[in-house]
Amino acid sequence: MGTSQPVLRVIQGGPPEDRRAFLRELYTKYGGSVLGRCRYLLKDAAKAEDAMHDVFARALTHSDGFRAEASPLTWLMKIATHHCLNQIRSERAGWRSWFEREEAARPEGHGGQQSMETRDLVRRLLSKVDVETQQAVIHYHVDGMTLEEVAAALGRSVPTVRKRLETFAELGGEELRVR
Amino acid sequence: MSAHLSEHPSEWTLRRLHAGELQADEATRARTHAASCEQCSAVLRSAEEAQRQFEAGLPFERFEQGVKQAEERAQRQERTRTGGSQRWMGPLVALAATVLVVVVARPLLETNPLPGVRAKGGAVAELRIGGGEGSQRMARTDVLEPLAPGERVRLGYTPDARSYVLALSVDAAGEVTPLYPEAGQSLPVEPGTGTHWLPDSIEFIGSGAERVVVLLSDAPVTVEDATAAARQAFEEGRRDLAQMPLLNMDGDQTHWMLLKP
Repeated sequence: MGTSQPVLRVIQGGPPEDRRAFLRELYTKYGGSVLGRCRYLLKDAAKAEDAMHDVFARALTHSDGFRAEASPLTWLMKIATHHCLNQIRSERAGWRSWFEREEAARPEGHGGQQSMETRDLVRRLLSKVDVETQQAVIHYHVDGMTLEEVAAALGRSVPTVRKRLETFAELGGEELRVR
Repeated sequence: MSAHLSEHPSEWTLRRLHAGELQADEATRARTHAASCEQCSAVLRSAEEAQRQFEAGLPFERFEQGVKQAEERAQRQERTRTGGSQRWMGPLVALAATVLVVVVARPLLETNPLPGVRAKGGAVAELRIGGGEGSQRMARTDVLEPLAPGERVRLGYTPDARSYVLALSVDAAGEVTPLYPEAGQSLPVEPGTGTHWLPDSIEFIGSGAERVVVLLSDAPVTVEDATAAARQAFEEGRRDLAQMPLLNMDGDQTHWMLLKP
């Protein structure tokens, strides 16, 4: 008699407890990173929290695809970045009010004072470039992705990403040099 | 912390390590390195601290409630979008699973649309984006246009003296999808002056960039030839959508670059 193998099947939906457990996992693994991104870009604590909730709601809505992602962190940060940049763009006064806004949040930070200053500089220059460059710049300078990681996240080639980052670096000097 | 020094894991790798995403061998390498590297261990500590502060400032129950409200908001917006007479609407028809969805509908369009930018020639094509949270907008041909979730695209054209129209799209992997028509040959333009809108709204799903091309020509073109020309152009652009040249076909072409949500 042979041994039987367990039958695995995908079940859509699932009981509320599964969903709650999934959400709790998102909360404990990624909450700090996603809120940090939203605060960094939106510079408003309440708006950032709303945006973060929107991002996690999308993760729940697309939970099958999300669970299959090799890097859920990359997926979430990409969505969060895109969502916040769109929000800034869609606001009536757009980037102008963004500059005038009180800095409710400290710069998203990892890696010491110099990196914090770089991220602050990046943020001040964002409005001068197009959306795709903004995304590349944020993933590179703020998330600390390599060129290859940025290219993979955005579905672009490494030379294209490098070119965009170098164009951006011309605005900010040595500190933003692409290595 | 530099993400770009070869002896260190990238900062992003460390953040993925913190999130528990790395494969066992890669995680071991990164963890071993970080244990003896102050710069890298600082990145890990910083990620831990950010998460700790997040949990201290926002209890899970409040987070859960906020996500629930966001879901309800999204559902309300979706209902408004699909149910309102001023919105784009229609049943979704799958064109290519997980790649592209065409919405068969005739959306209400705002009046006096701005003309699209043509690559060459006298005919003009336009690409209008709508159906999302924001107002409708005309896509520009000189910048990458990001699409928000749920946003759809509608193509229009002013034929001038051209007689046939065809539209297709190319994704970042070089996959060509005929949009209008899906097979056969390019269709005769509608008679009359002004802008004519192609009958379908298109929703691009998946991620990455998508290049949309409208070709207005004097003679009919087979979808097969146009698809081959698009593939060839993609290769000529070194498989980079941003570098892709015009299709090697007679007629007026307009290209747009969209970034899928």
